[in-house]
Amino acid sequence: MWSFFHKLGSPPWLYAISGSILRWLLPATLLALAVGLAWGLLFTGPEARQGNSYRIIYIHVPAAVVALAGYYVMAIAGAVNLIWKMKMADVAMKSAAPIGAALTFIALVTGAIWGKPTWGTWWVWDARITSMLILLFLYLGVLALYEAFDNKAAAGKACAVLSLVGMVNIPIIYKSVDWWYSLHQPASIKFIGQSTIDSSMLHPLLLMIAAFYALFTCCLLLNMRAELLQREARTNWVKKLAVAADSRG
Amino acid sequence: MTRPGALAFSARVLRRQLVLAVRRPVEIGNPLLFFAMVVALFPLGLGPAPAQLSLFAPGILWIIALLSNLLTSDAVFRGDFEDGALEQLLLAPQPLFLSVLAYICAHWLVTGLLLALVSPVFAVMLHMAPAGIAALVLSLLLGTAVLSLVGGIGAALTVGLRRGGMLISLLILPLYMPVLIFGSAAVQAALSGLAAGPYLAILGAMLCLGMALAPLAIAAALRISVDA
Amino acid sequence: MHPVRKQRLYLVLFVVLFSSAAVGLVTYALRGNINLFFPPVDVAAGKAPSGQSIRVGGMVVEGSVQRSDSSLDVHFELTDYEASVPVVYSGILPDLFGEGQGAVASGVLDASGVLQATEVLAKHDENYMPPEVADALENSGYDHKGNAK
Repeated sequence: MWSFFHKLGSPPWLYAISGSILRWLLPATLLALAVGLAWGLLFTGPEARQGNSYRIIYIHVPAAVVALAGYYVMAIAGAVNLIWKMKMADVAMKSAAPIGAALTFIALVTGAIWGKPTWGTWWVWDARITSMLILLFLYLGVLALYEAFDNKAAAGKACAVLSLVGMVNIPIIYKSVDWWYSLHQPASIKFIGQSTIDSSMLHPLLLMIAAFYALFTCCLLLNMRAELLQREARTNWVKKLAVAADSRG
Repeated sequence: MTRPGALAFSARVLRRQLVLAVRRPVEIGNPLLFFAMVVALFPLGLGPAPAQLSLFAPGILWIIALLSNLLTSDAVFRGDFEDGALEQLLLAPQPLFLSVLAYICAHWLVTGLLLALVSPVFAVMLHMAPAGIAALVLSLLLGTAVLSLVGGIGAALTVGLRRGGMLISLLILPLYMPVLIFGSAAVQAALSGLAAGPYLAILGAMLCLGMALAPLAIAAALRISVDA
Repeated sequence: MHPVRKQRLYLVLFVVLFSSAAVGLVTYALRGNINLFFPPVDVAAGKAPSGQSIRVGGMVVEGSVQRSDSSLDVHFELTDYEASVPVVYSGILPDLFGEGQGAVASGVLDASGVLQATEVLAKHDENYMPPEVADALENSGYDHKGNAK
């Protein structure tokens, strides 16, 4: 079993396997996104009090959920690099950062768009929204730190330390609506007991969340492949790929 | 000569840092002077109306304390990095965790502690009601300690970089924000006649967590920066 | 014990001790009600300061909304089912504002205990359901949360 992980440490093997995964994952993701959006936006009825403006939930919630999960991916990949010195984990961490930042930004913007007609304001400084903003700044800080180092190996390790430090923010974001009375509502999807969202709306939402996870994975793999090609540009296997791509036209 | 124990060693590091700081009193005075001048900026810019100033006083004082801390954080490890003393520290057999705590403690003693003790003067300059002063001093004492710890992380990550400057601010400001929220909330609560205790407890919790975990991050970051 | 292992043991103990202290302090703090909004029961008990901008959150009392004919003034009451706070607001209310719904009003508490609101935001809870389900619940005597009326 461990040989699988050892093989993941080899750039050409990782490149090959990510290619074969993407060959089916990318179309599956696009299909899931299309079906989910159509289902949620067109084929589900309006909500009792919010009418049609609640439909932005199908983008807002998946983006926020995957932004949080993406931070864990980035931090854990960084930790793997720090502890086991696995360079592919470093590649994963660097590739995850911009995707997570973009998703956090999407969550904040869609939240603002949702808030204006429902709450009555574009922005409010309550616990969850403020901590999501802090998460965006943490992501951007990781990106900035990586660029500032000339020695990229040290850059990866420094960013790993920074991501791990920022990990304290994630449980705060998640639990802030329970600990403090805030404007943002508590979770509707409950892991234990009955969810407080009607199943006609819950199912497309779950599909969209799964689709966003798949989208994150696709973007991560695509970024990783690009990073691998850049890092290993002088090796034989990349040269062979380049020649093969050239001859294909 | 026997090897000093861990606590004795870090006590010596602390004493060294304090002696170095005291030898350059200008560097201790500068942040306080910055604090005073920025406090003066607010009545100058917003108009001297006492009622309005006193409304914003907790936030203003806390933000300026935060900015002064930001300015001094960069230099915590830089001097020793440049002359190689830091590398020697990393090679020492004594645990880096305690030595790092000594550096941060020294930093706090010459920045945050002094700021907290001097803050009542500026609170009065901004027409803040006396009810809030105790909470202000306590929240600054606890909060600036957290800021020093977090600032140390940023300093350790960027000490090896030539163009550090703005970067350290970008890294540590997101982590400074919760401290600011609860620090100024403690003072607001005291001014409203409510208990500031819970807010100070949260600052205390941040301090405990910071003391437990920040030295680990700082030690790791120092090793990375020195090896780079 | 091996000196390096002893050092690591002390380190681990230190980290555990201070982390537990942190958790303990947070538990103490959360019991002390550090909400960013005042619940009506605190306002009624006089715990909220007057003359200062505060935020009060609660449910809009059914039947308490009175709109003026000639201006945008509106009177209503916020409750947390233990006490109520009268609120006066002049302006356009958000779409989701309604009786029996959550709202947060920010403004200044005057001498008679009435909140002169400068901003009213509607809070909605975590329940999502289609209108038919909501109507069915209504007709069978349940409120929108599924609790019997």
